[in-house]
This record gives sequence, structure tokens and C-alpha cells, in this order.
Amino acid sequence: MITIPYLTALTTYFSYGLLFAFGQFRDFFRKIFDWWQSSDLQGYAPICLGLEDFYIRRLYLRIQDCFGRPIASAPDAWFDVVERFSNDNNKTLKRTTKISRCLNLGSYNYLGFAAADEYCTPRAIESLKRFSPSTCSARVDGGTTTLHEELEECVADFVGKPAALVFGMGYVTNSAILPVLVGKGGLIISDSLNHNSIVNGARGSGATIRVFQHNMPSHLEKVLREQIAEGQPRTHRPWKKIIVVVEGIYSMEGELCKLPEIVAICKKYKAYAYLDEAHSIGAVGKSGRGVCELLGVDTADIDIMMGTFTKSFGSCGGYIAGSKELIKYLKYTCPAHLYATSISPPAAQQIISAIKVLLGEDGTSRGAQKLARIRENSNFFRSELQKMGFEVLGDNDSPVMPIMLYNPAKIPAFSRECLKQNVAVVTVAFPATPLLLARARICISASHTKEDLLKALEVISRVGDLVGIKYFPAEPMKEQREEGPIKVE
Amino acid sequence: MYVRAVPTTDLNRNTEWFTYPGVWTTYILILFFSWLIVLSLFGCSPGMAWTIVHLSHFLVTYQCFHWKKGTPFADDQGIYNGLTWWEQIDNGKQLTRNRKFLTVVPVVLYLIASHTTDYENPMLFFNTLAVFVLVVAKFPNMHKVRIFGINADH
Repeated sequence: MITIPYLTALTTYFSYGLLFAFGQFRDFFRKIFDWWQSSDLQGYAPICLGLEDFYIRRLYLRIQDCFGRPIASAPDAWFDVVERFSNDNNKTLKRTTKISRCLNLGSYNYLGFAAADEYCTPRAIESLKRFSPSTCSARVDGGTTTLHEELEECVADFVGKPAALVFGMGYVTNSAILPVLVGKGGLIISDSLNHNSIVNGARGSGATIRVFQHNMPSHLEKVLREQIAEGQPRTHRPWKKIIVVVEGIYSMEGELCKLPEIVAICKKYKAYAYLDEAHSIGAVGKSGRGVCELLGVDTADIDIMMGTFTKSFGSCGGYIAGSKELIKYLKYTCPAHLYATSISPPAAQQIISAIKVLLGEDGTSRGAQKLARIRENSNFFRSELQKMGFEVLGDNDSPVMPIMLYNPAKIPAFSRECLKQNVAVVTVAFPATPLLLARARICISASHTKEDLLKALEVISRVGDLVGIKYFPAEPMKEQREEGPIKVE
Repeated sequence: MYVRAVPTTDLNRNTEWFTYPGVWTTYILILFFSWLIVLSLFGCSPGMAWTIVHLSHFLVTYQCFHWKKGTPFADDQGIYNGLTWWEQIDNGKQLTRNRKFLTVVPVVLYLIASHTTDYENPMLFFNTLAVFVLVVAKFPNMHKVRIFGINADH
């Protein structure tokens, strides 16, 4: 639940209204100005209608330097950010050759595998030499190597399902699997804050989509009952199948999903459960096996488990894990398996090595140490930020913590001030988040040391005071009790 | 004082901001402050200022709610391209609380404007015309209706 101070809500609406009004004025004058100059379209229609890119042209481009910053090194705890400058008020940005070394609070580097690792990197280099950077083929043609087979077994074992299928890209995993699993005549019920890949996959499937209020099992039950009773639109025939799609950790909220209740409701109404563990696999749970382990849900109860390797394993790609029949079916229907290039061999080897480190099969206890460290780091950081008076979302144990900014002007202010003090944060605004609720999203990593976290806290506190985002009263520091003079009788 | 922002189930990012707390108050405050600004800039009587606020409110809301179609970003791939903002709000459901509020505001402005100008003639005519057009445009029967093909899709 997000608690906004009422005055902040009013000022945020007013700021957006002002920005919108200014944008409209400038568009109006631009239209008059362009009417005088002839256009050289030669009879072709313009690529976008005037209104479609209004947000990009008039709001996003003004603060473009806060997004899409190029980096010049591996995204470890500290990395190099390339400095850019603009001569035309942020409409175009030019790179310089100067770089600044910044603390990385934005990369999804939960377990610290993003930089060179003593076990994973030599093996990835060896597989690069043996298998070359790309398989240059789809899985069904010539793109299945022994690495791919090993990877699928490894992933299925790790996640706790009988079989798994691996793809080269995480986004594509969702958007190419959902159309294959359900089609016209089916029903997809998805959480209102699901990721864009799920929304796109659901739209592409042709099934009817219904949305339930974020993380509210009672509303899910209400929607399920209503939809089962009504049936398909217009014909009112029973639905061919119903899939409920939820995520493990919601990347914009940092919240865990209420999995036990949702799975119980799915079982009661005989709907399939699809769990997207993009952010939670490898990062939560005692041995890193995701939200099912953390919340005590049996993996046999969830029909389709999906995840990506980008976040905790330092690689790229996504997987689907399910029963053997499901994976066999997907292997001959899913377009991402039949036509898309398979995952790159060094990336696959990185994942296999990362999983081995996590399970302790490399002979050391580094995996368990990493998991313990990320848990400690996240809990420490979150509690310190909350003590300072920031509004931080997310549950305990979740390594994603969004700090609420709200006003549109605070987004570039926070981002630029932090960059000046060598801390790189990612800020997110409309339309990725609701209009009112712009935030700065911090991702904690196991490779952040205590000094890194303390420096980050100090910088964020100073910038927070400057920008004015400490919406809650700060907890007073415990006063040091002075030793009074000892009475000598 | 704090309010809770409950995430909505509205998938249309163009209209879901209207369901969060504080919108109605901001709308009313913007109208009130623009009245004060008009009074201080033009130095006219309060009644004329309310008439000016009412008529410019008519122009702005007609343009934004009932004329411009689609959404200001391309993420939703144009599914709302044939609908005005008024038709998109609340997913097309009619007679919700937000719609009732937005219908009442021009009527209240009309009453204030005509009362403070003592129902004198040139202002009364324009005010009545404005409120008539706005209220008719917001009727549930006018959902997706384009009179004489004005503003229809190609």
C-alpha cells in the first residue's frame, strides 16, 4: 500500500497539468510554424499522428539524460558511467570520452555474478573457445549443443520441476509462450501490475484478458467466479481454459506475491497457475530457489514456472519449467524454440556455473554466502532508508526497493544529484508506473560491501533532503547517554 | 495528512490517473486559482471573471475530453485510437462516480457564472451554450456517437 501525503498528490497533479499545458502550447506553435514551411513528405503519410508521441517529445525528452546512460564496464558494484552533454536542451545527447566511476544501484546484479567470477568466468571463456559465441541456428535446426541439454536439466533440477525449456531472451519467453498455451476462447487473468512482456503475450494470444487488483486474492476469487459464471463473451459458452498469471517479485514494487492464497484459489476453481519468477529466482529463498521456497508452496502446485537468467545469474535468456508433457508440447509449437536462435553457448555455460556455485557444487560455500549477504544487505538498507523517513516499498527480504518520488520535477533532480555524487540510480516514471507514483528503484547486490551501502545511504540521505522526498517523519537517533559524574560518598 | 493509493485494475494508462485520490480537489483548486488570476490580470468584475473561467474551461475540456482521440504514448499500440478521453475513462462504463463528478462541474460553474453576472444577456447566452454542449457531450447515449461524421475516424 502506498501512502501519499495529500498535498504531494495535489502538487503532482498540478505539475503534470502544467507540463501537459506547456507541451500543448509548444505543439500548437510548432504546428503553425510548420504550416509556413513546406513539408517534404512527398505524399507519404507521417509515421506517427501528432498525439501519439506527445509524451515522448514534450515530457520524456526534457529529462532524457536521466535515462539510457551508457556504461563502459561490467555492471559490478562499481562501474563506469559515460558522461554525455547536450547542445539543444536534451533533444540529442552526445557521448564524451570521459567516464565517472559510480556506485551501481540500478543493475539487476542480485548475486554479484555480473562481474568476473572466479568459478564462472574461466568456464565461460572455455565454452566460448569451444562452441563460439553463437550457435547460428534455431534449436530445431542445428542450435542444440550438449550445453543446452545440460542447461535444461540443470534448470529443471534447480527449480524443482520435471523438465525445462530455455530461450535466448527473457522478454520473448513470456510473449511467445502465452499465445501457444492459450488461444481464442481461453481466459487469461493477470495481476494489474504484471510486466509488459506478459501483457504483450496475453494480447498476442487472442484470449480474453481480465485483470485483478494487485496482490488481492479476494479480488482474484471474485473475478474468477464472475468469469466462470458468465462464460465466453457473447456466446456464454464455458471457457476452454483459464490461466492466472502472477509474478514472484514485482519489479516496480519490490513486493512478494501472495502465492499460497492464489495457488489455493486456482486449485479450487481449476485454473492453471503461471508464475513469472524473473526477479525472484536465485535471489530469495534459503537456497535461492525462488518464491516457492520462501513462501513454502509446493512446486507441483504451480503448472508453469517461468523465469529469466538476467537478474541473478549474470547471463541472458529465459526458461519455462513444467511437466514433461508440457515441455514436449512446447518444443514443437513454440515459435521461439522453432525459429529463434538458441541461447548463446557462453551465456549457457555462465548459467550452469552460476547454478553450481549457488548449490555449492563447486566445492566452496560461496553460494550460501552470497544468498546470506543479499538478504542481510537488503534488510539493512531498507530499514535504514525507512528510519531516515523515505517512503520505501517492498517486503522484507526483497532486493528491489523503490523510493517514492511522486513529483515529476524530483525525478531528474534526484537522478542528476546522485550522479554528481557518484551514485547511479534508476528512476522510473509514467507510463511504466502510474502517473502519480514516480519512483527511484534501487537494486541491492550481494557484491555491495557494507562501506558501499553506507556511502549510498549517506548520499541518498543528503540528496533526499535537498530534493525533499523524506515524506515520513524520521526516527530520532538513540541519544548517547553521557556518563554523569560518579558520586563519591 | 496521508492518503492511500490503491492500484486500480484500469489498464489504460491514459485514464487510470483519474482514479487516484486528490484529482477532484486539484481540479476544483485549479478552477478557483484561475479565477483569482483572471481577476488580477484583467481587473474586471468577479462575474466577468467567472464567465471567462467558464468559457475557457469549456474550450479546454472540450478539446481534451471530447475532441482529441487516442493516447499520448505509443505503448498500447493504438487500441484506443478511435476513442476520445471521455469514452476511454473507466473502461467505457457509464455513470460512474468520476463521470458524474465531471458532468456536475460545468453545471456548477455555469450557475456561479450566471449568478454573479446577474443573468445579463451577452454573457448568459454564451454560458448557456457552453454548458449545453458540454453536458450533452457527456450523456451515456452519446458514447461513440459522431454527429454528421465530425471527428470520425477515416
